[in-house]
Amino acid sequence: MDKKKIPVSAGRIAVKVDDLTVAYNYKPVLWDIDLEIPEGVLMAIVGPNGAGKSTLIKSILGILKPIAGSVSIYNQPYEKQRSLVAYVPQKGSVDWDFPTTALDVVMMGTYGSLGWIKRPGQKEKKAALEALEKVGMLPFKGRQISQLSGGQQQRIFLARALVQNASIYFMDEPFQGVDATTEIAIINILKELRKAGKTVIVVHHDLQTVPEYFDWVTFLNVKKIATGPVKDIFNDDNLTKTYGINYKVSIQE
Amino acid sequence: MDVTEYIKLVFTDYTLRTITLGTAILGAVCGMLGSFAVLRKQSLLGDAISHAALPGITIAFLITGAKDSNILLLGALLSGLVGTFWIRGIISKTHLKSDTALGLILSLFFGFGMLLLTFIQKQPNANQAGLDKYLFGQAATLVESDVWLMAIVTSICLFVLLLFWKEFKILLFDADYTKTLGFNTKFIDILITTFIVLAIVLGLQTVGVVLMSAMLLAPAAAARQWTNRLGTMVIIAALFGAFSGVFGTAISASQNNLSTGPVIVIVAGFFVLISFIFSPSRGLLFKQIRFIKNRRDLQLHKTLSFMYHIAETHEDITHPHTIKILNNFQGYTKGTLQKLADKHYVTLSDGNWSLTEEGFKTASNLYNQQNDNNE
Amino acid sequence: MSSAQIEIQLIASVVAIACAIPGTFLVLRKMAMISDAISHSILPGIVIGFFITQDLNSPLLIFLAALTGIITVVLVEYIQKTGLVKEDTAIGLVFPTLFSIGVILIAKNANDVHLDVDAVLLGELAFAPFDRLLIAGADVGPKALWVIGSILIISVILLIAFFKELKVSTFDKGLAASLGFSPAIIHYGLMGVSSITTVGAFDAVGAILVVALMIAPAATAYLLTTNLKHMLIYAICFGVFSAISGYWLAHSLDASIAGSITTMLGLLFLAVYLFAPTKGVIAVMYREKQQRTEVSLLTFLLHLRNHTEERERHVNHLNEHINWQKVRSKTVLDLALKNNMIKFDKNIVSLTEKGNNFTSQAIDYIITNEDSKIEHMKEDFFLFRG
Repeated sequence: MDKKKIPVSAGRIAVKVDDLTVAYNYKPVLWDIDLEIPEGVLMAIVGPNGAGKSTLIKSILGILKPIAGSVSIYNQPYEKQRSLVAYVPQKGSVDWDFPTTALDVVMMGTYGSLGWIKRPGQKEKKAALEALEKVGMLPFKGRQISQLSGGQQQRIFLARALVQNASIYFMDEPFQGVDATTEIAIINILKELRKAGKTVIVVHHDLQTVPEYFDWVTFLNVKKIATGPVKDIFNDDNLTKTYGINYKVSIQE
Repeated sequence: MDVTEYIKLVFTDYTLRTITLGTAILGAVCGMLGSFAVLRKQSLLGDAISHAALPGITIAFLITGAKDSNILLLGALLSGLVGTFWIRGIISKTHLKSDTALGLILSLFFGFGMLLLTFIQKQPNANQAGLDKYLFGQAATLVESDVWLMAIVTSICLFVLLLFWKEFKILLFDADYTKTLGFNTKFIDILITTFIVLAIVLGLQTVGVVLMSAMLLAPAAAARQWTNRLGTMVIIAALFGAFSGVFGTAISASQNNLSTGPVIVIVAGFFVLISFIFSPSRGLLFKQIRFIKNRRDLQLHKTLSFMYHIAETHEDITHPHTIKILNNFQGYTKGTLQKLADKHYVTLSDGNWSLTEEGFKTASNLYNQQNDNNE
Repeated sequence: MSSAQIEIQLIASVVAIACAIPGTFLVLRKMAMISDAISHSILPGIVIGFFITQDLNSPLLIFLAALTGIITVVLVEYIQKTGLVKEDTAIGLVFPTLFSIGVILIAKNANDVHLDVDAVLLGELAFAPFDRLLIAGADVGPKALWVIGSILIISVILLIAFFKELKVSTFDKGLAASLGFSPAIIHYGLMGVSSITTVGAFDAVGAILVVALMIAPAATAYLLTTNLKHMLIYAICFGVFSAISGYWLAHSLDASIAGSITTMLGLLFLAVYLFAPTKGVIAVMYREKQQRTEVSLLTFLLHLRNHTEERERHVNHLNEHINWQKVRSKTVLDLALKNNMIKFDKNIVSLTEKGNNFTSQAIDYIITNEDSKIEHMKEDFFLFRG
């Protein structure tokens, strides 16, 4: 990776979203989102179902095409900075009966830096094994992916993103359908990433764990409601604005 | 003609060798590309494409008036691609679902092809005979140039497959993620689809439009049962496909009155059946055996834990009890008791049983595990 | 028109009606490809039935063939349940194999079976009037007409009797089960009717046209209406229209009747696919273009409201930050100006009162998704329709 692109000084803006509007089948999903994510935060995106949380990160990553708006990563257009960004999709988005092994999936994380046609070699394999080790899945490297538990599959996905050795990580509901041990393992890795100066953005469902896990939060419900440090803005006022008056019910869910 | 005679003939008879080689190559390329179709959940697309190719063949014939199989196949390729993209158009632009779109294109294109085919057959043109071989296929009409064409297409296909292996694999597994890595997913997608259409078109002359889809699916579905790696799956599928071709040709050549296409399909179907039943990790037979074994273990555990509850009430856990008190217990048979004795969990002596230390420990572990699970 | 011609058209029309009824439900239940599978896999059933009865129109043969159809469905569902392959692969494996068995059975017994595979696949409607049904020596009409007519009557009776159940189970399986209708019985009932219709129709029109007659009219109707009763009626009309016009097309080209009917169905579908008023491709593309402009306009208005700073409201900002091409930003500006929603002040754009109100309403709608708040806006805006 090109080291020059990564700024050393803290306090810079890692991700800047400008006037982003997304419509699915021309039904509005996200409206005029302006968002600045400082470098080195561990941020949760919260909001009710259908608020456009996944849509937001998918359109930042160019998977969905926005109607308007632009995204920049460290002040450069996203297309030029892909190598700085890693993505952990929702676990349910792929077919886990696909004939491949855990190690193979993790190796896919190296494909981006390899580019077209070039095959992964020993160096890539080593990186993949290290990532598997980090998520505690090394003993399962040869396992077919359908024979892993939900939590293990999520760890594999996380490992695949770790291999990319990116500066910014986007994760879509990494805690969904995983066991308690995995949840702790994942959050520890995320906190480690933050310690290493990486920026981590997580679509999150469980409001109760927000103050414990994250230091930054964005409230989203079609529009951006609020964004900032958890200790400053994670309060009843914003929760009500995001979830409506019945937000306590959604916490219990 | 029996089979041994046939095998001799393959090496001596030019026509038979050509046909056998042709069906083998065809089976291999279909198996390879079929793996992708199956994994992309586009199994029935092959069926639709092969039917959609028929009007292309007839239109190509109407325009050129010649029966040059390369031109006819080009027509088939074009109309197969038109069908494929129309199916996508229907799915993306209307609220009709994919199954309806497939069924529509399949039947409408085929019907239109039949209209043209019957129209051509009524024309006073001596050249037209034999176009209907594309319905069920006639391996017997394969000539050397056809086999060469198949071999060339297969080599190109293999080359592209090896070149873009990594890209194909990651697109099949996780298309969104592939996009974020900076790959042009549309290009990879069109590449795969085009090659699938190409393989189908190539097989029309041999297997026919009606049965072509099975040629694509069956080897891949069978191969999937034997491996958990994509590369191995593609290789096994190619082998299954090639063997289906060779055996199918052999059987149909050694019997009177059997067209090759259906026989090849049945052979491929047989491979699928065998794989479904006997595959060691996924097969139904071994699944059933594991299921029975688990049930037996469960019975054993039940008996053991019943004994455990009795032994618990005594200070000395190895205190002997009469076998009779087990009679009211359902999981107990002489067989299970003997098995427990074989495992040294109990000792038996004239009508009495007593738990061993080891048996007691195992049983108490079982008991705790059950409690854990219940929580 | 000779009486044979009239009879052919009559048979074709009755077949079309008989197919349209189960076809509508197959399309709605996303099971269109099952009809394709059934139409192929009944071949061995027909061949075996033919060995026994030596009569293509015998009830026993129809029963045996329909049974093969049901077996196909059961087999497909069994394979799906094992989880060894994905959903549609099961269909793609079962029917070609069964069809091949049928073809081979015919080939191996070519001397005993006067069955032509081409005819099975394509039917020979032209010959249908020559096979007469004689009752006590009196000629009461073509056999094929009696067969398909009886099947049609049975399915109409079943349709009327179980219309409510069919409707509920098609649109909401869970509700149907909770109301006490077994979805399984409805499912296999529908499969049974489809199989019997396929067998009855297929002697006359062949396996491929049966599929076309089941799926195409229903799919065409589905592009025009979502009301179940209307859909059934439209599907029947389309089927009959194609049957009759297809016959005359075949007549003039001296080509296969089955192929011509399918071609007519295809042309009909193509026309509706392109020109249907709300769901046709042209209408959809026009609406998408409108919506794109309207969403852009709303985005723009919202942006103006969200930002008080002048830099964000400079005309050039539209191009730079919102990332639109020049052409589109001009369309949007014009539209907003025309509706008196914005005003210019030395290249700085700001909302008028009307624009401000409009934007608030739009946001309310978008966030709450409550239709009542938007009723009067629907007039001007595609976006909020449907």
